[in-house]
Amino acid sequence: MAMRTRLTWQQDKCLQNYFGGKRFCLLYKASVQKFSHQNLLCTCENQGPTMIVVYSEKCVIGMYLKEGFQGKDVSITIFALQETGFSLCAKGPYSPYLLFHKRKTNDFSILLDKKAVIVSSAICKMLQLTARNNVIPIQECEAFRCEELLDERKTRGIAVLHSNLLQALRDYKPYGDLVQQTRVLLLGPIGAGKSSFVNSVKSVFKGSITHQILVGCDEDGISDKYRTYSIKAKDDSDPLPFILCDSLGLGENAGLHTDDVWHILKGHTPDRYQFDSMKPITSNHPNYTHDPLLKDRIHCVVFVFDINSFEIHSSELVAKIKKIRRDLIKHGILHLALLTHVDSLDLITKEDMTDIYNYSPVKSKLEAFHGVFGFALSDILVVSNYVSEWQLDPVKDMLILSALKEILYTANEFLEDLPLNK
Amino acid sequence: MKVTARLTWIEEKILEKLLGNASLTLLYQSSAHKNCVSEMTQKYSLQGSTMTVFHLEEDVVVGVFILENFPRLVSEKPCTCAWFSLKRNNSSGISALFLNTKVIVDSEELIIFSLDGLSLSVTPLRGFTLALNDTVMNGLELNLGHGFLPVECEIFRVDGIKKKPSFIKKMVTAKQHGGKLLSALRAYKPYKDLVSEVRILLVGPVGSGKSSFFNSVKSAFQGHLTRQAIVGSDESSITKQYRVYSIKDGKSRETLPFMLCDSMGLEEGEEAGLCIDDIPHILQGCVPDRYQFNPCEPMKPKHSPHAASPPLKDRIHCVAFVLDINSVNTLSDKMVAKLKKIRKDVVDCGIGYVALLTNVEEYDEVLDDSFANMTETVTSLSQVQNVQKWLNIPIANILMVSNYASERRLEPMKDILVFAALRQMLRAADDALESYQDLPLEDTGNLAPS
Repeated sequence: MAMRTRLTWQQDKCLQNYFGGKRFCLLYKASVQKFSHQNLLCTCENQGPTMIVVYSEKCVIGMYLKEGFQGKDVSITIFALQETGFSLCAKGPYSPYLLFHKRKTNDFSILLDKKAVIVSSAICKMLQLTARNNVIPIQECEAFRCEELLDERKTRGIAVLHSNLLQALRDYKPYGDLVQQTRVLLLGPIGAGKSSFVNSVKSVFKGSITHQILVGCDEDGISDKYRTYSIKAKDDSDPLPFILCDSLGLGENAGLHTDDVWHILKGHTPDRYQFDSMKPITSNHPNYTHDPLLKDRIHCVVFVFDINSFEIHSSELVAKIKKIRRDLIKHGILHLALLTHVDSLDLITKEDMTDIYNYSPVKSKLEAFHGVFGFALSDILVVSNYVSEWQLDPVKDMLILSALKEILYTANEFLEDLPLNK
Repeated sequence: MKVTARLTWIEEKILEKLLGNASLTLLYQSSAHKNCVSEMTQKYSLQGSTMTVFHLEEDVVVGVFILENFPRLVSEKPCTCAWFSLKRNNSSGISALFLNTKVIVDSEELIIFSLDGLSLSVTPLRGFTLALNDTVMNGLELNLGHGFLPVECEIFRVDGIKKKPSFIKKMVTAKQHGGKLLSALRAYKPYKDLVSEVRILLVGPVGSGKSSFFNSVKSAFQGHLTRQAIVGSDESSITKQYRVYSIKDGKSRETLPFMLCDSMGLEEGEEAGLCIDDIPHILQGCVPDRYQFNPCEPMKPKHSPHAASPPLKDRIHCVAFVLDINSVNTLSDKMVAKLKKIRKDVVDCGIGYVALLTNVEEYDEVLDDSFANMTETVTSLSQVQNVQKWLNIPIANILMVSNYASERRLEPMKDILVFAALRQMLRAADDALESYQDLPLEDTGNLAPS
């Protein structure tokens, strides 16, 4: 029999949030270790904060012991999860061992061998439970150790991964030294988070939050010029070997003109060129680069989307983007997708962001994106840009740095794939 | 009070990954709970698979994974065990060893016996000493004396693992075996050096995984995920050009002696997808790298039919029919007919051929636990029978892989399948080269090795 909790994902999240960011480690399950309170106590003693959950036909009732089973009186919070919602009441201090015996003085008793809980009328009322003769039969009982979601042990691990990533990026060199800096183009709908991503990357390397590039919300997009950004790491005098190129957002009728995309890709468009939605750049423009070299061309394209709105874009915009992608494929230009605002997903916590690609709602979003645009799942990255924070956060940094690493490694694949005469 | 594992978060992740993406939950910690064997075993005998970790001095961690339930007090039972050791200052170095052992629990001692004698004994009451025997010490590359003091003992429950001893053995020995296959492939040389690189052509329906297979092969050789070939899903083939890819070895940086040739996907319709009449041109080596396919019209070769045909080195030496295992049984008659026609062209040119089934879900079940042969469950699959029937390919040449298209990191088992498939392709190519050599000179004509 498997040691898997009966709590649904939603119920687990609800309890996680209520008890202040806790993770629940299943220690005891009655159907596997037998319905006996000795077995429960045996596994749960001295485990720190503990939670016991019983499942009846219609609801889930639980007890949260902040100080766990330690051989002294502790305060207990009793709660119930029902279709109507979450309700709780506090009790104590109690000796937790008494909970497993039937006593007149007990408000709440768990009788495992009888597969029932006895709940006093007062508690029934507070939790809105229905019980016949104060007895509720139960089908299962589970006990959990409660741990901090993002405790010191984990933060230490994250710090190590963070510095490894930063080092990997510092060691990055364009493939074969074919160019000094690889050029990455950010394309995407208006407001997707392209300029915010550039700000975020700059912030991570600088070591503090910077808002050099103007961002905001406007129907027509904030960035109106083509900008190419070089980034310096904190203590270095030389810029890092990549350039992020920010463009006007794509819109159905407004926004970046499709022909402008090609001029940018081939390397004709100069830095600070002012876009015109109606007219693409022409070779008459004063700073138009007539014979672009490999270093002027784009080596990797990143399609940036807001994770919350890619599913509701108009079909015209979707068709426009798919056409651009088909043309990129035709010309052998490698590209990835970057979904922003992942931290705004419902119920997501910082800890979920440390293993973001295994988090169910993110997996569903990736599948949905694959369904709309046809990108391979491993070509879709997620990130959370720095928008209103005052300080850097290692978890966010990691997502930003790993996305950047994938992007730069992909640019290297493009350089490696070039025919030798180019 | 708080119970936090002494095993670091990163070490936990390494162990979880080694056990095939399992998850560990701390149950017992000697410093927080009572230091005695009866305590340890009584609680944990009904928890399922466990991992017992000993933190030793000198920053070494030794772990024993037991697949079956932890034995109860005063009992003795055979268990499937896997041993691990991690060295703290070498964060990526983990050694693993698989042993079938017997675990004995006594009132004072926890003893784990392997077939050649005592492997590990823990006697908590006598100051918690630990004794490991030589087999284990050598297998785990440990350089410790005999009998040392663990600083801490922790027991974790392992969830999400397949409860099969063969699976455990495969997971634990995968990396090692993959390394052996990789070395053998690095040492490969085409038959009698007739050509410097062997050319393997990938053909198959749209979306079957040809370009992904190239990415997977390159990833496995380079030691990290790569995406040189563009992949994805669309109404028609993503690959529109003929590409001849060579791969550099991640370690030696030398070009490996084989090239994978990627083609446009086959479609059912007549003027869609790869044109069937382009195949003979590809097989003979007339199609240049980066040729843009035209679904409506095959290429017009530069050489006139009476001129010399391209040299042996430009021809295809082995063809792999790439099929998605999930759609093999529902291939339309038209598609099967196209595949049969291609096979006929391949046979007429004397070229070797294999079938490559992709998107295999339970990819850890394809090979047996010593990675030597395919398991019977897999060889008796209806898809395999169908491919054998349609294309007359012997079962040994019907290969299975799971490409990297949704993963974000390498998996040793996937690499093993990729290497094994490539090895069979190279063998088929060698067989074809040998046949070329055996042809009387008049027939080889312009098949100069060059």
